[in-house]
Amino acid sequence: MVRLDDLHPEEAEGMRRAVERFQFPELSSTPWVTPPPLAESTIALVTSAGLHRRGDRPFRFGDAGYRVIPDDIDFAELVQTQVSVNFDRTHYQQDVNVVLPRDRLHELAAAGEVGGVSPWHYSVLGSSPNPLNLEAAAGDMAQRMRDSGVDSAMLSPV
Amino acid sequence: MLSHFLQRAGIATTGISLIREHTEVIKPPRALWTSFPLGRPFGVADNPDFQRDVLRSALRLLETAQAPTIEDYPFDAPAGAAAGVWACPVALPEPDASDLERALRTEVDLLTPWYEETRRRRGRTTVGMSGATPEELDAVVAFVIACAEGAGFAEVPPAAAGPNWIHAMPILLRYVVEDLRAFYQEAVVSRPGADAPSHHELHAWIFEQTALGRALTQIGHQIAAAGDPRLVPMRGFIIPEGFWKSGVTWGTPPAGENPVAFIHRAQPYLIGEEA
Repeated sequence: MVRLDDLHPEEAEGMRRAVERFQFPELSSTPWVTPPPLAESTIALVTSAGLHRRGDRPFRFGDAGYRVIPDDIDFAELVQTQVSVNFDRTHYQQDVNVVLPRDRLHELAAAGEVGGVSPWHYSVLGSSPNPLNLEAAAGDMAQRMRDSGVDSAMLSPV
Repeated sequence: MLSHFLQRAGIATTGISLIREHTEVIKPPRALWTSFPLGRPFGVADNPDFQRDVLRSALRLLETAQAPTIEDYPFDAPAGAAAGVWACPVALPEPDASDLERALRTEVDLLTPWYEETRRRRGRTTVGMSGATPEELDAVVAFVIACAEGAGFAEVPPAAAGPNWIHAMPILLRYVVEDLRAFYQEAVVSRPGADAPSHHELHAWIFEQTALGRALTQIGHQIAAAGDPRLVPMRGFIIPEGFWKSGVTWGTPPAGENPVAFIHRAQPYLIGEEA
C-alpha cells in the first residue's frame, strides 16, 4: 500500500482516470526555489484534508478557496468537510497530527532542526473536480506566507 | 498541483505522496512517497516518534533535492497492537430489515455510551461536519431514515428540522451520513481492549452488519430511482467502491458525455446552486 494496484479495482480505475482526464499545463516550467537551510527556515503546513475551524464557512465540493488554521488551535475546534469516502478517517479522529503534524513540527523546531513554525497553517479541499482551480488560492496563500516570514511549505494530502 | 502553484509564487515546497502514480504525473519539486493508507499521510495515530521521522524525512528534501525528486520512505506504518480480524466490540442486534428506523435508533442508543466515552477521553469529537452538534444526533438519524425511505434530495426532510445545517441539499446528505459514520467509528474504538479497525474493516462492518449500512444502501437505491444522473456521483461519496452491489457506485456519465464535462455540470447541482 498504496499503489493503485493495491486499491479496490474500481477505485484504482477512478484514480487512474483522475490524472488522465486533465491536461496539466507547463509543469516543467515551474521554477526551482532553493529555501534557506532547514535550521533557519520557517515552515507552514498545508493540507488537502478539508480541515477548518468549526464556525468557518465549510468547504463545498469543488471549493476553490482555502481556510486558515492558527498554529495555536485547539484540535477540538477542527472539523473536516471532505467529501470522499475513500480514505481512512479513523486515525485522524484519534490524533490530528497524523494529517496535520503541528505538534511534530514544534518538536523539530524546539530541537533546532527547523528554524521556526508559521503562525498559520493552511487547508484546501482535495477530491476536487478540477485541481487546477486552486491556482488563485495558492497565490494568495503564498503571499500570506511570505508576509509572515514563511520560507517553505510542507504539503500533506489525504 | 498545489506544489507547482506555491513554487511559482516563490514558496519552496516538499510534501507527502500517497499515490506514487499520481505524483509521477504531477512531478512536484520534492515528494516523499509513503506506503501508508489514504487518509494517513504521517502513518499512524499517537506515535510521535514515527510521525516525526516521516516529517523529518520529507523536510530534509528541502536541503538535499537539487531537482524534482520522489524519494521512497522505507518503512510501513506500524500495525496496531492486536493485529487480526477486527470485530465490533459492542454487541449490536441483527438489524431488523422490516423496521429500519427502529433498528438504526437501537444501534445508536447502544453505541451512545461508548461514543461519549471516546469523546470524553479524547476531549474532542469529529461529529459536526453537517452543522449538527453531537447533541442533535436524533435529527441526523431522522435525516438518514427519511432519505432512505424516499423523502427525496431537494430539501431537508421535515423530520430533520432543528440543527443549523451548514450545507445545501443534496450534498448536505453526504455530510449528515459522515456525521453518523463518525459517531459509529468513535464509539467502537472506546471499548476497553478494543483494537482500532482498518478502513476496510470499518466499511465491511458498516455495510454488511449494521442497520446504518442498510440505510445507506437504501439511500443508494433512492438515488438511482430519482432518475437524475447529476445525483449519482453523490452515491460514490456515500457508498465506497466494492460495497455497492448494483454496478459502479459512482455511476457512469450519460452516453456520449465527457466525464470531466459531466462532473462540472453535476457540481453546481450537487452543492445546491442549481435546481
